[in-house]
Amino acid sequence: MTAILTRDELAQALGRTGQGDRAAFRLVYESTSAKLMGVCLRILSDRQLAEDVLQDTYLTVWRKAETFDASRASPITWLVTIARNRSIDRLRSGSPVRNAAPIEAAFDLADAAPLPSTTTELGDDVRRLNGCLEQLDEKVARCIRTAFFEGVTYDVLAEREGAPLGTMKSWIRRGLQRLKACLEP
Amino acid sequence: MTDPTDHPDDNQALAGELALRVLSPAEETAARAREASDPAFAAEVTAWNERLAGFVADVAPVTPSPAVWPRLEAATAPAANDNDRLVFWRRWAVGSTGLLAASVAALMLMVARPDPAPVVPDVPEGGVTRVATLTLEGGVTAMTIAYDSVTGELYLAPTDKMAGDTRVPHLWLVKPDGGVQLVGAIDGSAASRHSLQGTLSGVAGQATAVAVSMEQPGHTPDAAHPDGPVVAQGAMQQL
Repeated sequence: MTAILTRDELAQALGRTGQGDRAAFRLVYESTSAKLMGVCLRILSDRQLAEDVLQDTYLTVWRKAETFDASRASPITWLVTIARNRSIDRLRSGSPVRNAAPIEAAFDLADAAPLPSTTTELGDDVRRLNGCLEQLDEKVARCIRTAFFEGVTYDVLAEREGAPLGTMKSWIRRGLQRLKACLEP
Repeated sequence: MTDPTDHPDDNQALAGELALRVLSPAEETAARAREASDPAFAAEVTAWNERLAGFVADVAPVTPSPAVWPRLEAATAPAANDNDRLVFWRRWAVGSTGLLAASVAALMLMVARPDPAPVVPDVPEGGVTRVATLTLEGGVTAMTIAYDSVTGELYLAPTDKMAGDTRVPHLWLVKPDGGVQLVGAIDGSAASRHSLQGTLSGVAGQATAVAVSMEQPGHTPDAAHPDGPVVAQGAMQQL
C-alpha cells in the first residue's frame, strides 16, 4: 500500500489534510509512514513504543496540517521533525528506557526496499550534511549526531564525553555555526 | 531590552540548540514559548530542522503494523451528522500555536500591569439557570449540568457512561467567540457541585456549549485547549 509522491504532491496532500480531507490524510500516511516509523524506531529501539509514537505523530499531523507552510519547510522534513520530537518526548517522559540496546539493532527490522520518494529527496541532503560534518572535529560531529538520534541534552553529552558542560556547549554551538556556513555557502 | 537572545548570533545558536534538542528541560520550555510567540525565531528553528533533516536520509524505512491506520482512522473520524462540531474542534486545535502566542502575550501584559481590571462580561441581572445535556458520539447522554449565573453554582450529574475510564474527564466551556475555557477536572462517576468564581463564572454565564475531554491522569491541559480527545458535548440553554 505504498504510495510514491513527489515533494509537490506530498505538500498538496498535506494542504488538503489541513482542510479536513481524510483521503489526502490517508495518502500522506501511506507515502510517509514507513519512513517515519523508521525514525521513531531508530530513536526508541522498541517496536511497540515506536508504533505508539507513530500514531501520536499522525494525530498531530492531522491536527496541525493546516499550519504547514510549503514555502518554509519541505513536507517530509516537517513530518520527520514531528516524529523525531515526539519520539524524544517519549524517551524523556520516563517510559522504561529500553534504548540501552545498541541502536543498530533497529536496523534488523528495516524494510528490504527503501521508499524511492522520500529517500531520493533526502539523499542529496544527507550527502551535503555528511560532507559538512566531516569538516568538523570528529568528536563534535559525533556529539551532534548522537544528540540528533538519541535526543540527549548537553548534560548527558558532557558526561559521556567527560567534558565540562561549558566546553560541550561551545563545541556544539561552534559546530552548528560551521555546519550552517558549510550548508549555505 | 538587555535580553542576550536579542543578539542575532545567539538567536541562531539557540534555534539550532532547540532543533537539535540539547537544551535542558527548563531552557527548552523557555525556547518553545519563544518559538510560539516570535515568528522570526520560529523561522530559524524551521531552517535548522531542514538543515538537520539530512540525518534521517540514511534511516531505513520500516513498515508499521497494519493495525496503526485503522486506529488513526477511528481517532480522526467525524461524529455522525455533526460536521459543524468537527470543524469547530479542528479549528481551535489547529490554532493552538496562535493561542499559545496570544497567551504568552497576555502573560507579558499581566506582568507589565500587575493588577488588571477584571473583564466582567454581561450576565443578565437576576440570574438565570442554564442547563446542558452532554452526549457522546452516537447521542448517548453522558452528563447533565445546571449552572446558576447569580450564585456561580454548577451542578454536574454524570450518567454511568464515563465510569471505568482510566483517563480523567475535564469540563470545558465553549465561548461565544469559539474559544474554549477549562473549568477543571470533574468526577465522571458521581454527581458533584462546584462554585465558579471570578472570570470563570462570567464565562459560564455566556458559554454557548460545554464539552468534556479525557486527559491522562496527572496531566492538566492548557486552559485554552484540551490535549486529550473531546468525548462529549452539549449546547447550553437557558431554563
